[in-house]
Formats: sequence, C-alpha cells, structure tokens
Amino acid sequence: MQTLDVISVNIWQILISLINLVLLFLILKKFLFKPVKKMLQKRKDEIDAQYQAAADAEQTSEEHRKEWEATLATADAKADIILQNATENAKRHGDRLVMEAQEKAESIIRVAQNEAELERRKATEGIKREIVEVSGALTEKMLEREINVQDHHALIESFIEKIGEENDGNN
Amino acid sequence: MKSVKTQKKVFITVDVLLILMMVLPIVAGIVLKVLTTPPSEGVSISGAMVFFSIPMPFQDLLITESQINSFLVLISIFGLCLYMTHGIKVKAETRRQRIAEWIVEKVEGMVNESMGDYFKGYAPFIAAIMALSAFSSLLSLFGLYPPTSDLNIVAGWAILVFVLITYYKLKSGPLKYLKGFFEPVPFLAPMNLIGEFATPLSMSFRHYGNVLSGTVISTLLASALQGLSHMILGWLPGALSNIPIFQIGIPAVLSIYFDVFSGCLQAYIFAMLTMMYVSGGFSYDDYLLRKQKRQQKRMAKNKKSKTKNNLEVV
Repeated sequence: MQTLDVISVNIWQILISLINLVLLFLILKKFLFKPVKKMLQKRKDEIDAQYQAAADAEQTSEEHRKEWEATLATADAKADIILQNATENAKRHGDRLVMEAQEKAESIIRVAQNEAELERRKATEGIKREIVEVSGALTEKMLEREINVQDHHALIESFIEKIGEENDGNN
Repeated sequence: MKSVKTQKKVFITVDVLLILMMVLPIVAGIVLKVLTTPPSEGVSISGAMVFFSIPMPFQDLLITESQINSFLVLISIFGLCLYMTHGIKVKAETRRQRIAEWIVEKVEGMVNESMGDYFKGYAPFIAAIMALSAFSSLLSLFGLYPPTSDLNIVAGWAILVFVLITYYKLKSGPLKYLKGFFEPVPFLAPMNLIGEFATPLSMSFRHYGNVLSGTVISTLLASALQGLSHMILGWLPGALSNIPIFQIGIPAVLSIYFDVFSGCLQAYIFAMLTMMYVSGGFSYDDYLLRKQKRQQKRMAKNKKSKTKNNLEVV
C-alpha cells in the first residue's frame, strides 16, 4: 500500500483536521462542560440555599433568645413588683392589725374607765347615802327628833354635793 | 421497585454502550492496522498509509491513516465525555463524575489564569486541543499511527489558532494591527510579517517534529537492539540465534518517554502557546476604547437622524 512522505502537505487534510478540532471543541462544550457546569451551578445554588437556611435558622434562634432574655428581664422586674406589692400589702395588713389592736385596747380601756367611773359613782353614791344616813342619824340625835330621811333627802344631797364641789375645787 | 430495577438496568446498558463507544474505535483502528500493514522489509520510516484518495480541486483528498485515526480519537473522546457525564448528580457519588469535575475546573482555572476573564469561553477549546493532541499522540501506545506525527493534522490546528490570533488582534483595532508591522522601524516590516506567519508554522512543526522524532528514534532503536541481540546470540544454532533479548523491556522504557511523556508534554505546550498567543494578541483596553468610540459615533448618528425627523415633523 502506498504511504505518504514524512513531510507532505495536503490542504484538504489540513482542512479536515481543522474541522475535527472545531468538532471536538463543540463536543466538549456541549457534552462535558455544559452538564458539569450546570451541575456545579446547581450544587452552588443548593449550597447557597443551605447557607441561607442556616442563616435564617440562626436569626430566628437569635430572635428567640432575645425574646427570652427580654421576658427574663421583665420577669425580674415583675418579681420585684410582686414582692413590693406583697410587702406593701403585708405592711398595710400589719398596720391595720396594729390599729385594730390599738382601737380594741382603747375601747377596752374606755369600757374599763366607764366601768371604773360607774363604780366610782356608785361608790360615791353609796358613801353619800351613808353620809346622809349618818348625818341624818347625827342630826336626829342632835335634834332629838326624827327627821324623815325621805323628805329631806334632796336637801341633804344638794348639801353634800356642795361639799363635794368645794372639795373638788380645793383639790 | 421494579421500575428502579429497570432503571438501573438501563443505566448499566447505556454505560456499557458508552464504554464500547470509547474502546471500539481503538480496536477498529488496531484491526485496520493489522489488516493493511504490509509485511515489513527491514527498517523503514515513512508517513501515513494512504487508503484511498478522492479527487478534489487543487489537490486530491487523501484518506490516510492519520485521518482515520484522528476520527477514531474524536469518537473515543466523545464516548469518554458522555460516559463521564452520564448520571451526573449534584451529590458526587461516582469517581467518573469527580474526574469530569476535576477536568472542567482545572481547565477553567488554567484558562482563567493565563488568558483572563474575557476568554472564559475558551476553556472547552483549550480542553479540545489538549485532549485531541494527547490522545492522538497516545495512540502510538496501541501500535497505531499517531495522527500528530502527520504535519497536516497539526498544521490544521495551528492554522485555526493563527486565525484566532489574527481575529483578536483585529478586534482590538485593525489600524493598530497594521501599524504593528511597521514597528519599531518601518523597514522591519518583512521580518514582522514572517514572524506573524512563523507562529503557526513553529507551533505545528514543534508538535509534529517531537512526535515524529519519537517514532523515528523508537524504530531505529528497535532495529539496533535487534542487531545487537543477533550479534551476541548469532553463534547459537538455529532459531536460538533469533531470540530478541535486548528488545524485551528497553523499548518499553523509551516508549514511556517518547509516547506518554512527550505526547502529553506536547499537548500541554500546544495548549499553553495557544492561550498565550490568543490572549497576547488581544488588548482589552483597546477593545473597550474602540467600542466606546463606535457607540459614540452611533449615538451621534442617531441624534442627527432624530433631529432630521423632528425637523420633518415640524
């Protein structure tokens, strides 16, 4: 079979080889670079989406954290308020109790005073009556005649009263 | 369940077909070579075998081994591409997908690095040059005629590169391109013109010469080794004197250099030079300036026509 020389130039062969290269370029572009790049783009998109999702999740968690922190802070304040209220209530309650106790004590004292006054009055009354009787008896003895205690009671009483008043005034 | 199984079956069938598409061209080439090679008579170094010729204007179109082999390489690479991107997924599961990604990313990175952003679309072209050159040279591993040791094949690529270089030089300003020939001194114009055409010539001759010289040296060495073993074992009687002891192993080592290393290196060099020349002949700033000027002109023209229209309307 015939062979070419080691160096031989044939324009048609050159043209065909040129076309071959262009053909291979198109093949590589369409069947290797295009699908691979498409896939890489898709992968990039997916990764981006995942990053985005991660960022979103972080953001939401951050928001939650802030929310909780805020509620915690307000909770402290709330607790303070509650405590304050409670203390105030307790104070008020205590005050009221003390006041009531005081009132009660005062009323007891008042009652006791009244009673004492009554007693005193009774006692004075008794003493008066005795004095009247005694003085009645004395005057009876002195005048030797009977004095109707009943009749002169009012008179005597006014008299004693006068004495008492004079005593009070002296005192 | 069944559909998944059938899907898997279809997938595997397609895979097998694609692998056959990769392997069969090379097998066919080997078969063709075996069938058509005449019994050798000593050492002979010649060009590609001519199968038949088609009459064409200027010159007959010769269908030679190199033509056939480069077509076979083309089909094989096509099959390889399809195989690598078959069943491509976002989540890389297969090794071939990783290889495909690696190739694409590497080539794009290389093109970006040495050509700049403007030539981003050149990645497949550079990959095509590298693949075609490397695989063509590597065909010699199968004992086939490497198309890259035919000047016509490499010259075709170099001419395409030359066309691209000139196109980009013209794109950044035709006047500047013409002026470039008369620089630095006008009488150097012929030298510059020769230099312009020397680019594709040197590219094609470098590539072709390297691959061809590898073949020549391999052939010479094989025959020399044959002679050596015959000299040493020649005193032995009968068939024993023909034992090729030196032809075992030594040619293989040389083949690693001349076929594998040199082939890949030349492919790399060719691609590198292409990138350098194409991007070197193009000045993006000049291109932008020219574009702006053109736009301004167009706008001025539009204004004029508008005012004309307005006048007409008035």
